[in-house]
Amino acid sequence: MNPRDQRLYLAFLSPVILVLLCFIIVPIASSFFTSLHRIIIGLPQLGNPFVGLENYRELLRDSVARHSFWITVIFVAVTTFFELLIGLFMAILINHRFPGRGVLRACVLIPWAIPTVVSAQMWRFLFNDAYGMINYAAFGAETARYIPWLAIPGTALSAIIIADIWKTSSFAALLILAGLQVIPEELYQAAKVDGARLWGRFWHITWPLIRPALLISLLFRTIDAFRVFDLAFVMTQGGPADATNVLQLYGYKKMFVEGWMGYGTAISVCIFLIVLILSIIYVRFVGRRLLEASV
Amino acid sequence: MSRSFLTKTVFIFGVCLAVSFSLVPFLLFVSSAFKTQTQISSIPPQWWPDFSLKFFRSALKNYGIMHYLLNSIIVAGTTTLVTISLGAFSGYALARLKKKWAHLILMGILACAMFPQIAIAGPIWRFLQIMGWLNTYHGLVLPYVALTLPLAIWILTLFFHEIPRELESASLVDGCTRFGTFIRVVLPLSTPGLFTASILCFIYAWNEFFLALLIMTDPARQTMPVGIALFQGEYTVPWGEIAAASFVTTAPLVIMVLVFQRRIVTGLSAGGIKG
Amino acid sequence: MKSLGNKWLFFIVISLLGFGAQYSYAKEPTTLVFLTWKPNQPEVWNRLVKEFHRLNPGIRVKFQVGPHSSTQYHAIVTQRLKNKDTNVDVFFMDVIWPPEFANAGWCMDLTHRFPVQDQEKFLHGPIAANRYKGKIYGVPCYLGAGLFYFRKDLLQTYHYKPPKTWQEMVDQGRMIIGGEKEKILHIYSAQFKQYEGLVCDMLEFIWSNGGSVIDQKTGEPTLDHPDVINAISFVRDQIIGKAAPEGVINYEEPESLDLFIQGKAIFHRNWPYAWSVANNPQKSKIAGKVGVGMLPAFAGHNSASTLGGWQFGINRLSRHPQEAWQFIQYMTSHQAQKILALEAGLAPTRRSVYNDPDVQDRMPHLRAFLPAFERARPRPLSPVYPMISQELQRFFSQAIVNRGSDISKLARNASARIQKLYKLGAMIK
Repeated sequence: MNPRDQRLYLAFLSPVILVLLCFIIVPIASSFFTSLHRIIIGLPQLGNPFVGLENYRELLRDSVARHSFWITVIFVAVTTFFELLIGLFMAILINHRFPGRGVLRACVLIPWAIPTVVSAQMWRFLFNDAYGMINYAAFGAETARYIPWLAIPGTALSAIIIADIWKTSSFAALLILAGLQVIPEELYQAAKVDGARLWGRFWHITWPLIRPALLISLLFRTIDAFRVFDLAFVMTQGGPADATNVLQLYGYKKMFVEGWMGYGTAISVCIFLIVLILSIIYVRFVGRRLLEASV
Repeated sequence: MSRSFLTKTVFIFGVCLAVSFSLVPFLLFVSSAFKTQTQISSIPPQWWPDFSLKFFRSALKNYGIMHYLLNSIIVAGTTTLVTISLGAFSGYALARLKKKWAHLILMGILACAMFPQIAIAGPIWRFLQIMGWLNTYHGLVLPYVALTLPLAIWILTLFFHEIPRELESASLVDGCTRFGTFIRVVLPLSTPGLFTASILCFIYAWNEFFLALLIMTDPARQTMPVGIALFQGEYTVPWGEIAAASFVTTAPLVIMVLVFQRRIVTGLSAGGIKG
Repeated sequence: MKSLGNKWLFFIVISLLGFGAQYSYAKEPTTLVFLTWKPNQPEVWNRLVKEFHRLNPGIRVKFQVGPHSSTQYHAIVTQRLKNKDTNVDVFFMDVIWPPEFANAGWCMDLTHRFPVQDQEKFLHGPIAANRYKGKIYGVPCYLGAGLFYFRKDLLQTYHYKPPKTWQEMVDQGRMIIGGEKEKILHIYSAQFKQYEGLVCDMLEFIWSNGGSVIDQKTGEPTLDHPDVINAISFVRDQIIGKAAPEGVINYEEPESLDLFIQGKAIFHRNWPYAWSVANNPQKSKIAGKVGVGMLPAFAGHNSASTLGGWQFGINRLSRHPQEAWQFIQYMTSHQAQKILALEAGLAPTRRSVYNDPDVQDRMPHLRAFLPAFERARPRPLSPVYPMISQELQRFFSQAIVNRGSDISKLARNASARIQKLYKLGAMIK
């Protein structure tokens, strides 16, 4: 490529690099740095000594952190699976041409459009054990049989999983839809002419060609799901008995409530490392195909 | 093209399922905006509201949702414009650069998107404090741009990959500069990608809560999510007003999506791409 | 000539005074930044601030607003103070924060501005919560204490007096439910979600059994003690899922109050604000049928209630400490506290307001609250209280959520973790 083009591309990229540097890269570096110190903001007399990897060693010994990790893993696995499934279903629906499809598209995006703090409040309202609609739908007026969803450890985690699936299935649907639209209509026509049925068309045409879009959705959804915070914060505050104490919430409590800046940041760094490793795995196995298939 | 009766029923059933899945929980909540105070927390709950507009009036007058709405529009709108511009330029560069470099930079950008927000909120706040940008619009827009760029760049880069080089070569041969080609040929063909990225970007900036809470403490500048969080008094949760505000905050987004959703689809069917 | 000389002197003095006066009016008004949460009745606060502006033309107060949730507000305030932000002058502190803020050097030492004679005009409990190492760091604005609400109409029907012990409450409740059949569902409603409120409620049970969580002098946790264990067992076995619905494990103040004002619970524990809500016919189905008093205790012990409330603090790095102090003095004056009491329902911290005839007239229940207020106990006072609170929340929640929980073992785990925290706090002495 000629040097003029090179200069142009550099000019295109530099503002982005600058913004990302100031607001993401430097803060990340600063966080790494913080996680290597013991910083308790409420006890400045103790200074901020450099402690190396002590915070991380402490994390491995911390039973609450281990518990948070497993809770988060369960959350990520279940939500990502259902969101992709439901997203795929909705994307296929929206992709077909039929009257009123614009309205359907708008409807499907509504859960994603609502601020997370609002939707968290909404689900807290719906799951309420006395006047919640979910109990009403299940048990009618027999208030004695109402389940206190957010009070039992098992159901509390399910409740925030349901809330997240509701909200982000549409995000997955949008990404998968973009992938669906790359598939040429002629392939389907040819298949129909050949006598292929609905399931056959899906399995042999849609499924293979939609894999890149599915994988981008999987990638971004996993990255986001590991960082879940708002839902647990608003609906349960991590309870009951730490049943919904997801990693990011535990990190928040350590950092902003208790003042353990160094330790709390170490938790965030761990989340980052987990997600980074997962992404590398995804991209290694699929990435090349992803970026090269389209050219 | 005739479909069998079974396929059609399954299809309609699927549509109804999708719509109720998306809408019913929200409608149940928002219907509270139209109820009276005792109806909201009555045990057992009441489905059908009385259609009173009291909560809307209260939200408007006592909680000032109009100015939160305005702030949200300014912040989200600016963020989207800046992110899409920067994202389009850099996405194009990444789509046309040497494979090795492009991969590296894309991975780096992805890595930026992975770091938990809670941890970088502190350093971002300190940076804004040093620059004196706290409680300003640009103080919130710039971090949002940084947070939405990764997804925008990834989406746009992939869309730009789609565009056949022959079209660009043709334009270059015609005497257009590379930059001109970008503006006149590539961008118009990428409208679905641009609109998809814009919608996702706008919604993210519209709904972001944690950074907005930390950075904007001046009531004159606070955005909708922070405003709604502030509805909650010391020991009271004004469900009625929160539901009314949720309704008001979602309506512009729904309208926006209704208006723009066609652009996402029609662009791709244009012949140019399929060639 | 003497008289002319005097006239000249007079003229010079007058013009100098006039010039000086003009100069001081031409000065820029000092802007005070008051970092607060969104008040429940903003009109009342706005009126007070307007009056302050009228009385102090050289000072302008600018509000900056965070959420009312104590945890979120704490995050915002500490973020700014720890980064040495000079753009905050006055802020609110929850009753559990002064030791933390004082130790970290975030709030100004007010001892020379707020001498002991002035402190004595306030209720004792809130003042004690603002003291750290012999100095005072905040001025209490309004206070809260755990109060016991009950359905006085139901108690009258069944010829009961308000229960003095927890067991009595459970027994009375059972009889009433048996008699009322379908109408009432539960005996008791309170806050047991895993948050700060859980600590408040559980401490009331523990203290009313003669137990305590920390030995204030040595700093040793005293959780693994029969008084504490028995109180917690009572809550786990008799209250959660029995006297109170299982759902209280996810209740904060609004939900628990809702249960009560919908007429679905006979007894209720909450802060003073619940009184006006419960008696508001627009919100409550039981308006006018509510009684209030001290919380029950365990047999042979005294009732206990947890101290709550908010205090004013001044940023140690504030550029206008004198003006900030004037503002605080005004906001905690008898007149301002009276207005806050009468119009915003906030319990005053000055004794004189309780004796004010207007207040006694329009809010007679405040006098009824006073004994509970006088005896309200603070939570452990320590710069590391937020960390201790997290451990206590975890401990209490684990103890009451699982039916077969080994409370003694959980207590020992929690004690070990709290010990480590206290050692940290001890290092700074």
